Amino acid sequence: MERDALYWRVILLAAPIAVFTALVIWPLLSSFYYSFTNWNGFNPEYDFVGLDNFAKIGTDRLFASAIINTAIWMVAAIFLPTLLGLALALLLDSKVPGGTIFKTLFYLPICLSAVVVGQIWIWIYQGDWGLLNTVLRAVTGSDFSYAWLARPNTALGSVIVAWSWQQTGLSMVIFLAGLTSIPDELLEVCDIEGATAWQRIRIVVIPLLTPATVVVVALSVINSLKGFDILYIMTGGGPFHSSDTLAMHMYNESFKKYLMGYGSAISVVLFLIALTIIRIYFRNLRKVDEIYG
Amino acid sequence: MRFTVFKRAATASVGLLASLFMAMGVAKASDVTISHYFSGPFMSVMGDVFDDFNAATGFTMKDSPVGHEDFKTDILVRGASDSLPDVFSYWAGARVQFVVDSGDLSPIDDMWNRDGLDNVVAKAIADSATLYNGQRYLVPMQFHYAGMFYNKKVMSDAGISEMPSDWEGFLALCETLKGQGITPIALGSMNRWPAQFWFDYLILNTAGPEVRAGLMDGSVGYDAPEIAAAMSIWKDLVDAGYFVENANAQTWTDASDKVAQGEAAMTLMGTWITGYWNDLDMEADVDYDFFPFPTINADAPVSVVGPIDGLVVSANVQNKEGAEAFLSFFVSDLETQVAWTKAVGAVSANVNVDPSVYNALINRVIDTVGAADNFAFNYDLATPPPVAEVGLSMFQEFMENPADYEGILARAQESAAAAF
Amino acid sequence: MADAQARVAAREFNPWRAVLVISLGCLAVLFLAPTVGVLLSSIKTTREIAFGELWTVPRTIYLGNFVEILTNPAVPHYFKNTVLVTVPATILSIALGVLAGYVFSKLPFAGSNLLFLVIISGMFFPPQVILIPLFQFFNALGLIDTLWPIICVHTALGIPICTLLMRNFFATVPNALRDAAILEGASEWQVLTRVALPISLPAIAVLATLQFTWIWNDFLWPLIFTQTDENRTIMVGIVNLRGQYSVAWGVQGALSLLASLPTLIVFLFFQRYFIKGMTMGAVKG
Repeated sequence: MERDALYWRVILLAAPIAVFTALVIWPLLSSFYYSFTNWNGFNPEYDFVGLDNFAKIGTDRLFASAIINTAIWMVAAIFLPTLLGLALALLLDSKVPGGTIFKTLFYLPICLSAVVVGQIWIWIYQGDWGLLNTVLRAVTGSDFSYAWLARPNTALGSVIVAWSWQQTGLSMVIFLAGLTSIPDELLEVCDIEGATAWQRIRIVVIPLLTPATVVVVALSVINSLKGFDILYIMTGGGPFHSSDTLAMHMYNESFKKYLMGYGSAISVVLFLIALTIIRIYFRNLRKVDEIYG
Repeated sequence: MRFTVFKRAATASVGLLASLFMAMGVAKASDVTISHYFSGPFMSVMGDVFDDFNAATGFTMKDSPVGHEDFKTDILVRGASDSLPDVFSYWAGARVQFVVDSGDLSPIDDMWNRDGLDNVVAKAIADSATLYNGQRYLVPMQFHYAGMFYNKKVMSDAGISEMPSDWEGFLALCETLKGQGITPIALGSMNRWPAQFWFDYLILNTAGPEVRAGLMDGSVGYDAPEIAAAMSIWKDLVDAGYFVENANAQTWTDASDKVAQGEAAMTLMGTWITGYWNDLDMEADVDYDFFPFPTINADAPVSVVGPIDGLVVSANVQNKEGAEAFLSFFVSDLETQVAWTKAVGAVSANVNVDPSVYNALINRVIDTVGAADNFAFNYDLATPPPVAEVGLSMFQEFMENPADYEGILARAQESAAAAF
Repeated sequence: MADAQARVAAREFNPWRAVLVISLGCLAVLFLAPTVGVLLSSIKTTREIAFGELWTVPRTIYLGNFVEILTNPAVPHYFKNTVLVTVPATILSIALGVLAGYVFSKLPFAGSNLLFLVIISGMFFPPQVILIPLFQFFNALGLIDTLWPIICVHTALGIPICTLLMRNFFATVPNALRDAAILEGASEWQVLTRVALPISLPAIAVLATLQFTWIWNDFLWPLIFTQTDENRTIMVGIVNLRGQYSVAWGVQGALSLLASLPTLIVFLFFQRYFIKGMTMGAVKG
């Protein structure tokens, strides 16, 4: 039977591993190769510069601020869309009237083109006639014309809000699916024992949602690391790089400054950071296996 | 039961895959591939040009339009793979220089001389935009000019009939407007580049073209006294409250809207603003007009600033004959030049185009450019791309905190020196 | 079963349900605001938007944007190409994720965690990193300006998330179920398709929804891999509606609304699988 299992492992893994190696791992490694060169992208000729690109990272002020912004973004990503998505899933799981309509509404944001959504958010944050300031003026009665995306202090946060808005529907869907795997019997036991709704959620639902949570958190972290489209459209990393993330910085160096070598070095560092996160994340993954034996 | 859905989907996908094979095309020998960043409304105009060219020559243009910002990524990926299209549009100046230096373009001297383009392309533009390392590489599609575009009604309501030509006059104009509660100058620096025209004109009109050329090639530092002096003039304008608030929150169209609505009086912008305003139902010479950037230092040569879009032939060109024929056709064919330049709101670089085809405003642009001593590319086309990135962000930082202009210049110099 | 009905009935009198619906309503309004913005932009003229009248209640509904979209001959191409890319890539990536996820969950082996880690790490980099190597790869195969590279790349890039989600859902299937089936003489393939998959239908529905939405809305890969307008997808089409110095807000908004319909339909189709009802209990018994 063990030989059987080995045979099945090879059969089942062959296709996914082959495709993944050819189209992701190999291109990734070959782009890392350029991190040791001064390639500009256009020129077929380039020199090997050893570790110069990595040394440059140490003195790059923009890189330092991009790391901080990425960290902020990641922390926000773990909490905002995850908690909001969980709350929505719990609310919608209890068979509310019009549940499908609500679900569709919350899912709608990721169905729309990022370019158009980014532009709409620019108009929400617009200083003079933007939706946010119009509402704030109506509520406070003051003459409020703060330019959210133009100020270094608020640009990143404003984009994170827009991004979370888009991601929440995604978390909600995964949590909803996760809720389906919680046996009704367990919940009935809770009712019989006289547990409050909150106790039921805390003691039974949340622990049993761990597999879904692991996926949602992973997705949020990943998307925050990659976070690009909406940031690119809303601020482009500006004003003056105050909302740059590592992905944005990598893009700027590679495709706007034509420093492919340096851009590759940044992506190597980004990848190393990711590996560290994955290690932490793996401990949580074991918990999944412990909960379900 | 549940699985039938998936089974049906799987069967359908096999059918889809089969029809995909059919979609694969094969390139023909007469095809000329082209990629350009004239997407949106310009796509159909370009399509007409292709039709005319195909009919006239028997070649077939294979079009690949890409939105402006994405074009930069696309063309770099294709350049990195030695798979550039035969012909592509690119920005004359430091950007073409960069691609030429990377060995990715074919010189077009033979075609240029054979087709007598010396007698077609205006000499000033031919000298500044088409020659790189002593060889011809580009034909100009059209040129734009950056000037002070203003709302006529706002100016006349403020009692201003004469537009200023010197700096005192300009300051007085701003003061008058401000006194009447109108913001004199709109600027939308959210996407950074609109601020560059201020930097360009202030340096050209104080320190002059030579210092500016030095700044562009790295022989003059951003911390040089001439640069600081120009920035301090800009700072004085901001301090005096002549610029709109929150320039960094606005795009160039927001700034243009402010002028169109009369909230602000003028904006320093390229001639493409006329196309945008016309779409808002405004009319040249009725609703809006322009005046050249005012003289600051009477000793400095008169400079005009603007971008030139050009067509270039790649080094890995498959159909060199067809590619060169298209370049020649695009710049020489009068009908094409007139239709194209009118569509994009620009001016033809072809000397044979009769200016009377343009409206009065564009004719004044032609006169202004013709009378200038020096045509300069705007900042991000004049200095190498890695440096341009530094400067463009610097303008934004300056608009946020003009008082710190010396610190900003010092930091820019540090980054620029590393980038050169 | 009767118990469950009683529980639902008991909830009818819960005042919290009213609070719940109201708070959901409020959240929905907040969530809807940007989407309403897209809708408003699609029925206003450029002039109205430019002059700050985006967020006002429209006095007249301008349909010119939709007319422009519906009469644009390229739009049907865009839709067809996007379907041709999205459907196969969604199915293939889920299929591969199911295979890998099953092995990692039910047939772990020495080093399988490391292999899993490698696959998961494949999600953690911006796609721009592999643009150039992949372009060179497909260029060498002569497949540039076809839809093949887009399908292949989306299949590959979907493997990590599909594997992760399937692995975690298969983990909730008790090992005892598999052991029992194997003892009864079922092959691993039969366990996967007859035992594990039916329980994991919600996960597959989630993946189908998400993968479809992502691939449908992707812009970068079609931009890089296709060149002629005939082979472009809808997202590239939306972006290309504007030019270097021109805006096309209303038309872009209109096309974006139209382009969101297929993803919404897919969501509505699959969302029934998210609802509790197909519990493990039924299978367990």
